[in-house]
Amino acid sequence: MEPSASSPARFQLRRVGFLIRHMIRTELRRGHALVGLLLFALASVYSAFQAVGDQATAESWNALVWIVLIFTAFNAMARMHPDDRPENRNYLTHLVNPMEWMLARTVFHWVLMSLLAALVFAAFALFLGTEHLGGGRWMWLLTGLEFAGWALASCLTLLAAIASLAGAGFGLTAVLGLPLIMPIVLVATRFGKDLLSGITAMETVENLLFLGALAGAITAFGLVLFPYLWRD
Amino acid sequence: MDYRGFTALGVALLLYVFAMVAWVPLGPGLVEVVPSSEGEVIALGLGTHFSEAEGTLHAFVGADGQWLPVPCTAVSDHRLALQLQWPDTIHRRSFDLFLMNAVDGTISLKNAFHPEGCVLNEDHTYPSVEFPALKTADGFHFPFQPQIFETIRNLMLHVPMWFTMFFLMGVSFVQSIRHLGAKTVGIADERAVTSVETGLFFGTIGLTTGALWARFTWGDWWVASDPQLNGALVTVLVYAGYLVLRAAVDDPVLRARISAVFNLFAFVLLIILLMILPRFSESLHPGKGGNPGFNSYDLDSSLRLVFYPAVIGWILLGVGMYRMRLRMLSLHRRLNQIER
Repeated sequence: MEPSASSPARFQLRRVGFLIRHMIRTELRRGHALVGLLLFALASVYSAFQAVGDQATAESWNALVWIVLIFTAFNAMARMHPDDRPENRNYLTHLVNPMEWMLARTVFHWVLMSLLAALVFAAFALFLGTEHLGGGRWMWLLTGLEFAGWALASCLTLLAAIASLAGAGFGLTAVLGLPLIMPIVLVATRFGKDLLSGITAMETVENLLFLGALAGAITAFGLVLFPYLWRD
Repeated sequence: MDYRGFTALGVALLLYVFAMVAWVPLGPGLVEVVPSSEGEVIALGLGTHFSEAEGTLHAFVGADGQWLPVPCTAVSDHRLALQLQWPDTIHRRSFDLFLMNAVDGTISLKNAFHPEGCVLNEDHTYPSVEFPALKTADGFHFPFQPQIFETIRNLMLHVPMWFTMFFLMGVSFVQSIRHLGAKTVGIADERAVTSVETGLFFGTIGLTTGALWARFTWGDWWVASDPQLNGALVTVLVYAGYLVLRAAVDDPVLRARISAVFNLFAFVLLIILLMILPRFSESLHPGKGGNPGFNSYDLDSSLRLVFYPAVIGWILLGVGMYRMRLRMLSLHRRLNQIER
């Protein structure tokens, strides 16, 4: 059976654009959720700062920045959106193609993660110091955080969709997600470790490409699989 | 063939494997050299026959085709006393040790000695010596590997577990695709979850035997940030997550669909984690990251005669267990129908 046969619409990129705008608008409309996320990220960085002080070694800088990014990502992706309520989902399944919805949600999460990764980076630079980031290294690390953020967003978007369909919330996303994001974490931490230990960015740039490839592959996989989840 | 056939065949093969693992001796080799008294060094062998081969013993130290003969006497079958006299001028810093005798053939220990107090001259040559032809030990035995020694037998208990797990997870992957292609909850979903359960059993044994092996060869139960080890643990956790996910959903139709999607995701991750990622990074684990596997050491080896049957035997046993569980489930279903 054609998976999208039960949904009325054929895939249209135009509708994806509308959906993304709709998601951003609902996000801004209930501003407390977004502010909550920012607050969580900032508070995590501040706790890290309290733990290691402003003289963090390159290793602890690296370890903490990835941990904070991962937890921020989980917090941002595993939330219950208004669209995830069963009555809203029923309504949506009649309007949009599941692949459109998945693509829109993923892109929306990419935008959100770009923001959060930049915020986490800025807060780290502010509190934990920039002594390891000299020589243009900060640009590479920020790029790495963004790439890792997109890969995490791709992976967790699918898992959060699975968890919300299962009727379970944050807990299930964490149980399913923590092992699944491990390849991303391994590559990302290696990239950060290489970079902060002082080798030139070009020597570790393949890790960055690998992160990008992971983000793309996971997204493609999610797009193919999601219509099966939506089928009723 | 039903589950009995698979299980019986698997058990038969594994009986052969265990018999070989228990009775095939380890080939002779050198473990280390320890200084004993002035000018005398004891070479410690494993599986060697120094006393038995008394009279045919030869010892040499050297490297790069330059050799110095060393007088030696057997203390016991496993201990050989070497009377070392270093020349004033040497051609390199470290010397390998070669021992020969009629029973054990040629055995060696790389970089056994680092003589001190000698002048280093890389162009220096020693008087030439007659070096007996290299030969391997007689008899059927497992190859001697430095660091690994007798634990090479663990090969039959560690590597096939992962092959079996891959195989069963592959079965599960195919069944999940079949389930997503079908309209109703059928046998495919049951097969998918059963093969994951069986596969997890083998994965857990693989982790355990791996940890034991790591303890012996690397000195610790677990090694941090080794890609192969991480991959193995994460794969097992992901499949455990699959079972958690199934337990979290009550509606059988929804449960089958969601878990099938997650299962496809998990299998792709298994391929990435265990087959792709470790090849791109450095690892202690044999066969990964420029670290050769056993095959490259022992192409003609006796290991294959036991290892291949072990792989087939464990996979057959896995399939037998999987089918036995399926049979149990179907009998349970029939029993419920009768009671109703």
